[in-house]
Formats: sequence, C-alpha cells, structure tokens
Amino acid sequence: MMLLTCPNCGARNVSEFRYVGEAKSRPDPETATPEQWRRYLYFHRNPAGWISETWYHGSGCRRYFGIERNTVDNAQRSAAGTAGATS
Amino acid sequence: MSDIAAPIARTALSFPGPLRTVDGWETTARHATGGLRLTDLGPLVKLTVRGPADGSVRTALGTSFGRTARPRGGPLAGALVVGSGPGEWLVLGAPGTGGELLAGVGAIVADSGEFASVVDVTHGRALVRLTGEAAPLLLSKVCAIDLTDRVVPNGSAFRSSVARVVTDVVRDDRADGAARTRSYLLHCERSSGQYLADSLVDAGIEYGIEVGAAAADPI
Repeated sequence: MMLLTCPNCGARNVSEFRYVGEAKSRPDPETATPEQWRRYLYFHRNPAGWISETWYHGSGCRRYFGIERNTVDNAQRSAAGTAGATS
Repeated sequence: MSDIAAPIARTALSFPGPLRTVDGWETTARHATGGLRLTDLGPLVKLTVRGPADGSVRTALGTSFGRTARPRGGPLAGALVVGSGPGEWLVLGAPGTGGELLAGVGAIVADSGEFASVVDVTHGRALVRLTGEAAPLLLSKVCAIDLTDRVVPNGSAFRSSVARVVTDVVRDDRADGAARTRSYLLHCERSSGQYLADSLVDAGIEYGIEVGAAAADPI
C-alpha cells in the first residue's frame, strides 16, 4: 500500500486518489503545432527521481492538488506551485 | 372521500421486518436492544452547501472542514452542521423541517453575497447512524482511518472510503446522562446506501450488531 498526503485531508491510502499525471504547462491551442500538441498529450518524461504530479482526491475532499513524488522510493514533498494545484 | 393514498417516500435502506412511517417516510420499525446498532436516518433533512471555504457563509454556518456544529439559535437551531469538505457543508435537520431549513440556509447564502449554493439532497442520499462502543472496531474493518480520540474526536468529520464507498463519517456521540456512547453518522449516495448498510451489518456480526433504533435513539 502506498500513502499519499493530501494537503486537505492528510495521509490517505492511494486508492482514494486518481492519478492525473505529470504537471506541465499546456501549450496554447491556438498557436501550438500538431507536433507540440501531440507531445503535450502523449509524451511524458518518466524520470527515475523527483517529479511534479497532479492528483485528484476523489474519495476525500474532491480537490485537485499538486505534489512532488520521487518515483524511485515514493517519497513525497509538497509542491504548492505545481500546475493543477487548486487547494 | 379520496381513494388516493398519501405519497410515501422510501429511504435508501430496506430491511426485513415491520415498517413504520415517519413524517411521510417509510422506514424499518425494528427495535435494537443490543450494544451495537445500525439505525436508518434516511428521513432526516439533508442539505448540501457549497461556497468559499473562508467566507461569510462559513462564519454563518459556524463550522469549517472537518468539524461539526449544533447551532442553538437562528435559522439553523436544532440542526447539525457538518464541514464535509473544503468549502462544503452538510446540514442535517429533523424530519419535516426541510422547508424552514432550506429557507434559513438559503437566506444565509443570499445574504452572504458570495458565490455559494444550497441544494436539498434529502431524497438523494442515504444516512445511517452506527452506535455502540464497538463501532470504531467495526469501522476499522472497512475504513482505513485511525478512529482514536486523538485523530477523530467527538464533533469531527471526514470523508473517506468506507467499504469502498465514498462516505462522510461524522463522529456524533450520544449522551445518556453523564455517559457518552460512541456514535457515527455515515452519509453516502443513495444508490450505495443499501450496499454500505449491508457491508456494515456483515462486518458487525462478530460484535453483535442489530438493525433498528433503541428507545432512546432520536431519529
């Protein structure tokens, strides 16, 4: 079991959350080329290390929030400035 | 003489045995005499309020996320206000008080000038009360939250997965003279209510759970 720390509810079982994805800025749809848009939608960095992510706490506060997670050991630290954080 | 019977609302939960009608709601008439009981509180009025987490709506409702309040005066007198989420409240009132409560909360929302809403969800939700000293033991089988006094004291609330159903859990101990009995309100979507109740009964068999209300239980 993996625990994830929601900024509103505290540490909860990860099954309460939905993984939204890596937090990254969306290119402007008016000016982005198909290549840029495709890269935004389907290409992810998938690093072994710290990554900024967005999660949705569907079984709790029902808020999206950003968090930084180490993909190697699942260590976490807050990321208030992460894109997608709404709490 | 009219041959049309008065309309009856049915709570989300159905249990074998006799039925009774409470303010137009048909619910189980079973009596529970044991130390651990599950009571259907479907007839209670349920309102959800949404608005800014730290605004005048919050001030008027008297509680914030994770806590409950029982206003003694004003339009919410006698109701239980639950801070069920950030900027989200659940207001529970006695059966049949829906009109007054909705008007009262509606006035609070209107007077606030904030972008807020109030919705009557009485018929759309299931509400049960689990009472007894073994209640936290039972809940620990279906819910991953630490229910000790330090984490979930009386008067607190949280939303989590209970038997895999998203449920508002409110600790609202019952006072019987000087004695207090552990009690939790569990509130979920109506369509999940029967499953949740059956899961709680199943998990509570080893603690001698009974379905129904004791004589001392107010609905």
